[in-house]
Amino acid sequence: MARLHQQPICVASSLLVPLATLATPPWLGLDGVPPSWAVIWLLPWALVEGPLSGALSGLALGLVMDGLHLSGWSQIPALVLLGWWWGRLGRRAQPIQRSLNLGLLAWLGSMLMGTTVLVQLVIRSGWPLDPQLQSWGWHTLWCQALITGLLAPMLASVQLLIWRRRVPS
Amino acid sequence: MAPTLRPGNSRWRGLGQFTPWLLLLVGLVLVRFSKGAGFADAYALLSRPFWPGSAQREWITTATDLEQKSRLSLLERDNQRLRGLLALQQAGAAEGVVSAAVIARRTRGWWQQLELGKGALQGIAVNDAVLGPGGLLGRVSSTTPVTARVKLLTAPGHEIGVWLPRSRRHGLLVGMGSSRPQLRFIDRDPDVRPGDLVSTSPASTLLPPNIPVGVVQAVDEQAAPATAAVVQLIAAPEAIDWVQVKTR
Repeated sequence: MARLHQQPICVASSLLVPLATLATPPWLGLDGVPPSWAVIWLLPWALVEGPLSGALSGLALGLVMDGLHLSGWSQIPALVLLGWWWGRLGRRAQPIQRSLNLGLLAWLGSMLMGTTVLVQLVIRSGWPLDPQLQSWGWHTLWCQALITGLLAPMLASVQLLIWRRRVPS
Repeated sequence: MAPTLRPGNSRWRGLGQFTPWLLLLVGLVLVRFSKGAGFADAYALLSRPFWPGSAQREWITTATDLEQKSRLSLLERDNQRLRGLLALQQAGAAEGVVSAAVIARRTRGWWQQLELGKGALQGIAVNDAVLGPGGLLGRVSSTTPVTARVKLLTAPGHEIGVWLPRSRRHGLLVGMGSSRPQLRFIDRDPDVRPGDLVSTSPASTLLPPNIPVGVVQAVDEQAAPATAAVVQLIAAPEAIDWVQVKTR
């Protein structure tokens, strides 16, 4: 069977990311901070597809997500890096089977994404950050990483299962 | 038939294989620079059956007591010389109000914004002021034909000039990500105390004049380089389903 990027239904599933980002209800977040749907979708995709496709998908998702958000900082660097890293893991490491491993990878990915946003904030605002801004930044970083890491084992494991069946190794 | 060995032919075939992906990349770049126009519009179309009903609009019109009282006291303080001019501005403002449903909101997280169900086709433009029950919520950051994106006052780095009617001082309201933005002053002794009303400046040209924004909650006189205060906003974006956009 063809690779994931050659199957229109699999590519079309990425459209769920911007729609979920727009439609996330406040109760699905942690203290109102929503999960990173881009990270949850990209993780199984990159694990199945490999580093090049993972990085390119990260770039594509980053472009769309930056378009849907206020200007100021970008998710593209983090998503490209995560797509490449998870793609390498999928190719070179043992196949990831346990849901908790997916949760841990998603947690790390969300932490990396939040860190890149914080770095961009520091570059824009200058060092040191205002204590109020700093406190908000750490709070958002931890809340998003936790809720993303909690949701990923439920959602990403199902995606991984379906996509691995469609693309036998 | 034997396969051709001419290198040029295979090069063009390789390029032809990449053409759909190049087109996709161009499309994604267009999405990025149109601020998600296709996605936001499609989302508005899909979510239209779930938009808040007219009951919310009635609730908003009956829940503006605080805003009306604050505006009344501010208007009374304006001097008689500006009365005629203010009347003209208000007449103009009443014509330029567009009610819009909130179709998506992110009031926490890295980006703090609202998506409205009306856009450029209804006359909404970038930098228009967005009001909720009680006062100012933010400003329009970008528009698509049928949606508008609002940057909330709480968004990190969002700055607007404000006015303290009691002490008649100007200040700069700066979003800090949390629900309480920071009020910064230029003066060392700005004569501010908890409970003071914060509004838009009567002389403001960027924002509608005399719109309530919030109430001073705490004052830090030791802040460097000048006094700063924490402001509790009057309008709460978490609970608003309809807003009013003041078009210019």
